[in-house]
Amino acid sequence: MDCSVISADLIAYHFATCDDDARARIDAHLLGCTECLRAYLAIKHHTDRGTSLDARPSDAARARLRAAVAAEFQPSLGARAARALRRPIPLYQSLAAAAAVVFVAAAVAPMLARTDSMPPMQATGGERVDTARPTPENLSFY
Amino acid sequence: MFNVPVDTDEGLFGRVREGDMRAFDALYARYESRLFAFLFSQLKNRADAEDVFHEAFLRTLKSGEVVFDRDGAFRTWLYRIARNVALNHQRSDRRGTRAVAQLPERDSPPRADDQLGDRQLLHALDGAVARLPAPLSEVYHLRSSGLSYDEIATVLEIPLGTLKSRMNQMVTHLREELRPWTAR
Repeated sequence: MDCSVISADLIAYHFATCDDDARARIDAHLLGCTECLRAYLAIKHHTDRGTSLDARPSDAARARLRAAVAAEFQPSLGARAARALRRPIPLYQSLAAAAAVVFVAAAVAPMLARTDSMPPMQATGGERVDTARPTPENLSFY
Repeated sequence: MFNVPVDTDEGLFGRVREGDMRAFDALYARYESRLFAFLFSQLKNRADAEDVFHEAFLRTLKSGEVVFDRDGAFRTWLYRIARNVALNHQRSDRRGTRAVAQLPERDSPPRADDQLGDRQLLHALDGAVARLPAPLSEVYHLRSSGLSYDEIATVLEIPLGTLKSRMNQMVTHLREELRPWTAR
């Protein structure tokens, strides 16, 4: 088929408005004609992109929208903390917390036991001496 | 093969409503170009298109009562709101006359030695699209945005048969406009 006929139908081909026979003819032609295939791919790429213009909102417009969305949907610090507290704790976090408690207990228990076994400080006369608050009476043993 | 999970629009919408701004960034990136191109084609003015884009996007995200129960539902809803906001904007500001005044002029036909140059063809296509009547321009941009016929019919609130008719008109219009560039 003539390339001019095909190229005129490429728009219809792209938007799938041509009938099945025409579609089959164009398919067959594109397989053998590099120039028409290139033209078709250019049209397809161009239309899929929307336009050749720099078609997107400015950075300022984007920032304005982002701030509006954050103000609308991002919870306050207090609400976020409350939500974190309400959140169910996963199993692995529970196990890690339990392991940490056991580890701390194992490290602290011997120290506590050693403190309990130490005899209270005794004066030679059997009197308990409060060295923190020395008085003339309890200084007599010196 | 790798199986990379891709967030759906509907999933991102739910996360944005929970305050996830990374989800907003992802959703915005998907639509900033195509939705803006659609609005710009309707309003013919960058500042107006930015205002309508802002309002439409925010209003869509605030649509908490809407349940998006299938793929494409968010997209259809977004475009529908955007179109309505744009129509209201046009009505309230009476921008129609300015839009017509800004239509690009028809390109001069190509010389015999450079017919079918891709760049010229695409430039001509841009001009032809810009000169499409509003109902056909809507169809062109919505279809180029990847919406299905059903989705476009929903956005435009027209029967499927009417949409197909407009698609044919749009293609015929572009084909006639591009004839000097495609005939050889």
